[in-house]
Amino acid sequence: MTDVTLYHWEPNANSGKPMLALMEKGVPFDSHYLDMLAFDQHKPGYLAINPMGTIPAMTHGDLVLTESTAIMEYVEEAFDGPRLMPENPVDQWRVRWWMKFMDQWLAPSFSMIGWSVFVGPSVRQKDPAELEAAIERIPLPERRVSWRKAINGAFSDEEMAESQRRVALGIAFLEQALGEREWLASDEYSLADINGFNLAYALPLSQPHLSNDRLTPNIMRWVRAIYARPATKRCWALGKTDLAKRATLLEAELA
Amino acid sequence: MSMILYHGEPNGPSLTVLAALFEKQVDADLRRIDLRAGERHASTMPHALEVDQSIEGEGPVLVVDGVAMADSVFLACYLDAAGSGPALRPADPYARWQMMAWCRHIIERLAPAASYLGLQSAPPVQVPEGIASLDLAGRWRDAVDGRFDDTKLGDSRTKVAQAVEKIEKQLGDGRDWLMEDFGIADLETYAWLAGMPALVPAAFGAKPHTAAWLARVKARPSVARALGTATVADPESVWAPGPEINRWG
Repeated sequence: MTDVTLYHWEPNANSGKPMLALMEKGVPFDSHYLDMLAFDQHKPGYLAINPMGTIPAMTHGDLVLTESTAIMEYVEEAFDGPRLMPENPVDQWRVRWWMKFMDQWLAPSFSMIGWSVFVGPSVRQKDPAELEAAIERIPLPERRVSWRKAINGAFSDEEMAESQRRVALGIAFLEQALGEREWLASDEYSLADINGFNLAYALPLSQPHLSNDRLTPNIMRWVRAIYARPATKRCWALGKTDLAKRATLLEAELA
Repeated sequence: MSMILYHGEPNGPSLTVLAALFEKQVDADLRRIDLRAGERHASTMPHALEVDQSIEGEGPVLVVDGVAMADSVFLACYLDAAGSGPALRPADPYARWQMMAWCRHIIERLAPAASYLGLQSAPPVQVPEGIASLDLAGRWRDAVDGRFDDTKLGDSRTKVAQAVEKIEKQLGDGRDWLMEDFGIADLETYAWLAGMPALVPAAFGAKPHTAAWLARVKARPSVARALGTATVADPESVWAPGPEINRWG
């Protein structure tokens, strides 16, 4: 029995952040998988938990929490287990700085590419009337715009080029930071690494020309070290789509 | 411990950090820089990756024992941990989650909107040299050239109105401060909102709780002291390029 339930999609990006944080802390939780490509997150059952229809959400007893990075900080503070936030306040600042940089600058660029090559094509084959009805059920207007863009393949060449520029630059910044210290934000494994790994775990497959042993040895060292953690293995085993299977492919290749 | 705070006029992120510093009774060497003239990009300033690539845009820089740090909410968290004054974050984990989620909403939605509207009302005259971030340099060029998109302006006014609605609702139970005790959520929200009644007056109509809260925050000794560092009569009208408006629309 546990009083924690996590509503999540794949161990990837925002869903993977609280999943991995809970696994690292050793907090048992009921996993409630939402099939994002079937729009489970906009169905009444889930909207009763999170009226915004965003994934992930977590309940702890009667409490409901949303916003993946804020949930991770809650997990760190509310439960016993290994520390995932360094003690030094300057290191804490750096953890938060990197999480914001990834959440608001780098991740949107990764996801624009991911939505255009994976999410859009995955749902495009559905019945158009059904799709339109599904989009109309999305509570947040900006998410309706995003879904329409993804489904119609309507990201402009300029937008995609800017996303590619940011991904390349973001990889260079990660490599620089990981060249300065063992983990992303401090000398200890932290929430910043969990956040970053959820963006970067498939880099050697998705961006092999930008991230490999020759060009980014520090990112590769870091990704390998996180793959080797038992919590990571347990977390990625919860995936059901080709997204999470990339981890299995890479694990064998990177070992 | 040596601490230097490079800050602009007390508006937006500089106001948050100055007031947090005073609230926590932290002793720092305060050095004024002209953010609207791009002085943060001068070669004499510290240029760590986290400063040059801060997605907050033009904001204060706190240097602690040689480590240069940026981003106002997280600088305030640092000061809360390092200083001796009253706590600026709730101790309870759920209340702290509420505070962090609130601040995320403010920095992601209100801050880009406020700085976009503020810049349009008083654009900078020149793009400074030495900006490391290409996208920040683009926001400077747009502002200096007067390129403001009507859709983004309209959306920004909506975001300001939505923020005020959210504040009014939060204060509806009669509480004095957004998270019950005064703290970072009040500072960050006030800092981005203080200049908006002049630019989006309709958003503030019939919002008695918000009006009273704005007055309370302004009268808080730490905020009053921060506002006292201004070199102009109306610091809430001084803007430099801030965070970008969400690229996903």
